[in-house]
Amino acid sequence: MYWKYFVRRILYAVMILAVTVFVFSALFSTVAEQVLRAQIIEQVNAEALTLARQRTSLDPNAAQVFREFRTQQLIRRHSLDQPMTVRIVKRTLDALTLQLGNSTQIKSAAGETDVMTIIAERIPRTLLLFGVVAAIDIVAGIWLGMRKARQAGKLMDRSTDIVTMIVFGLPTWWLGMLLIMVFAFAIPIFPSGAMHMSPPPESSLGYFLDLMYHLVLPVFTLVILGFWGRAYITRNIVLSTLQEDFIMSARARGLSERRIVFGHTLRAAAPPIVTMSLLALLGSVGGALIFEGIFSWPGLGNLYWVAVQQNDIPVLMGNLTVTTALYIGGLAFLDLIYGFLDPRVKVGGKA
Amino acid sequence: MKGARLSGLRRFWDEYRQVKSGLIGIGLLVVFILIVLLEPVALPYREANERWRDINYWQDSPRLALPVWVNWFTSKDYPRSTVTSEPKREEVATGTLRVITMEVPYEFTSGHPPSDMYYKLYLTGRASIAFEFIRPDGEKVELRRSTAVDGAQILRLSAIETLQERAYAMGARYEDPNVAKSRNPRMIDTMAVLFGQATKGIFTKPAILDGTYRMRIQVALVNEQSQLNKAEFVVLGGVSGILGTDGDRRDLWCGFLGGTKWALLIGLLTSLISVVVGVVYGVAAGYFGGWIDALMNRIFEVVLSIPLLPILIVMSAVFNPSIWIIIAMMCIFFWVGPVKTVRSMALQIKEHSYIEAAKALGASHRRILFRHMVPQLIPYSFASMALAVPGAILFEASISLIGLGDPTIVSWGQVLRDAFSSGAVLQGIWWWIIPPGVAIALMGMTFAFIGFAMDTILNPKLKTR
Repeated sequence: MYWKYFVRRILYAVMILAVTVFVFSALFSTVAEQVLRAQIIEQVNAEALTLARQRTSLDPNAAQVFREFRTQQLIRRHSLDQPMTVRIVKRTLDALTLQLGNSTQIKSAAGETDVMTIIAERIPRTLLLFGVVAAIDIVAGIWLGMRKARQAGKLMDRSTDIVTMIVFGLPTWWLGMLLIMVFAFAIPIFPSGAMHMSPPPESSLGYFLDLMYHLVLPVFTLVILGFWGRAYITRNIVLSTLQEDFIMSARARGLSERRIVFGHTLRAAAPPIVTMSLLALLGSVGGALIFEGIFSWPGLGNLYWVAVQQNDIPVLMGNLTVTTALYIGGLAFLDLIYGFLDPRVKVGGKA
Repeated sequence: MKGARLSGLRRFWDEYRQVKSGLIGIGLLVVFILIVLLEPVALPYREANERWRDINYWQDSPRLALPVWVNWFTSKDYPRSTVTSEPKREEVATGTLRVITMEVPYEFTSGHPPSDMYYKLYLTGRASIAFEFIRPDGEKVELRRSTAVDGAQILRLSAIETLQERAYAMGARYEDPNVAKSRNPRMIDTMAVLFGQATKGIFTKPAILDGTYRMRIQVALVNEQSQLNKAEFVVLGGVSGILGTDGDRRDLWCGFLGGTKWALLIGLLTSLISVVVGVVYGVAAGYFGGWIDALMNRIFEVVLSIPLLPILIVMSAVFNPSIWIIIAMMCIFFWVGPVKTVRSMALQIKEHSYIEAAKALGASHRRILFRHMVPQLIPYSFASMALAVPGAILFEASISLIGLGDPTIVSWGQVLRDAFSSGAVLQGIWWWIIPPGVAIALMGMTFAFIGFAMDTILNPKLKTR
């Protein structure tokens, strides 16, 4: 019956995305249309100019007629002559089918202005950075969390708790600035940012190593701040599990502590730990967007910086749509994993 | 009822006192509140908060000066700023022409040159000015300039701005000719040359020349309408204030003080509003149940699935909001925090027999919700309020960092924004970057300590195994 749960969860995610994108479209309706109108005028001017170049003997009246005709045509094509509600619904549908319009300033690597192309070329870079971080983060976090749970209330547990609290409100991007200052300025052993040196190395091995070299500092920054929180979650889940009856019975059977912790407890606690960790990581993606700007890592987060600086509204809104879609997709994916690992979830439907 | 609630809080406090980190958190919070209360006394520049972005306000303070306490740790001291107001005037009049001469001696014994020095003249009318920098070894660096001023004007004759080429000419007489030739006169470190020993290496590795420097200025007032109303001689030091200054000469201690106030306000206001809304929402959803619960759950889940920072960035970029709107925007998304837990707690409370009894007695929904259910959630509300504060501060800082903060306030995020965008990170200007970040982290830690301490009391399961 897993597929039923699967379909239901996916449909639900799509529905939520649709609602969210609709809200965005309504919220940013005015500014989006202003930009669109400006873009139409610009396009018509450019077309009229080429037309005038081709036919030098063009009657000025005819040029004016062409402009008006073309403007009306484009306005109709973009449904700007429709009532407000229709326009918002249409923009929602456009966004959901990833037709995000054209940028005003920013261009893709190949020089295109299509917003989706610009965003698409950045998605893998962001996924790479945060994939690496998530992997290291979860492994380190679970390891520390297990140790904390086994020594709950002891010095090691309490001291790491304090570290967790100290880093709770610490901005990752600030630590990034600090580490760049230390490891790129004071002791210059790492690059201060970007994904590759320029120009990037030719050989594929060199390319790979260069990429790893540029990954070290941002990944280190994110992990060193992140895994404490993961350890804290793990500790709490493991501790609650340790109080369950089946652990008591395992103890009564005289099993070794090691087996109880790693065999019985971890097995029962793994699904919530993994999902909670991924959930927390997903939640930290927002802050990490800022983080990309500090390291000039050319991903989605950095695109927000660039779009804000150049006041490129279509890119900003397109990026928001894509980020939201990825986020909601991530949440759905998590639920699906959880339902897979813990069959109780999909039976009830509601937690 | 009231007495019972009070004794509950009392018990809570008794338990809270046992948690050491919680007490540290309270202590830090008190310190922050004291800082806010004492701000008017501790603020070295009165109007720093209102005129933070007014470059005129800051022009009499040194650029990128280190914190004063750096001198405690270095063998080569940085000079402090000094101001000589109204230096002694000697006036010689010939007809309508009056020449005012002022000379200020400057005892220099520091290990680093000052960051600038200048005469500040409050002039009316026409004047012609000669400025002379006399070194202990007798070398003179001169500058002549005539100026036509209509009406009143403040004239600033700064060594860095006016003496660079003259300083080069002086240095070139001592430096190895090849080295001198390879230097761009506009790229030399003016102050280091002016205060350097006149030997080879004055451009490459200037050694400091101690002694009494004299700054002489002659102001020739051309006609009777011309007046020198006021004069000041200022030496801008290499150190200034408790936290130094930034690239726009602003005193960073003022930035810290101003930021404290706003951080507390942003954090507390956002968390207060959003937790109150969230708790009431969660209790109502749990209490009413049925389709109301289902609908409220859907709304909750939609808000929950919007990534917070991106939407805040885009909204800020589109609407250029003030800090109050930013707080409101954060509340719109922050209230979901406690909802889930509160709802499940409300589901349990609802089943208690006294709620049944209240219903049977004909109590209204509102009475049951606010008199019987919400009060039970107060400890939990405080915990989640405390834990929501760092998030709010962090979000405001992040928005400011990207350049979308409210330009009428001073916040730590904005100080970091200025530092980052002017390249302080790769120039190693640590005193511009470390304090604001430490402040954000400390404030976050304060509320994390408090929140986690409450959390431990509320979930005794987590204390030990």
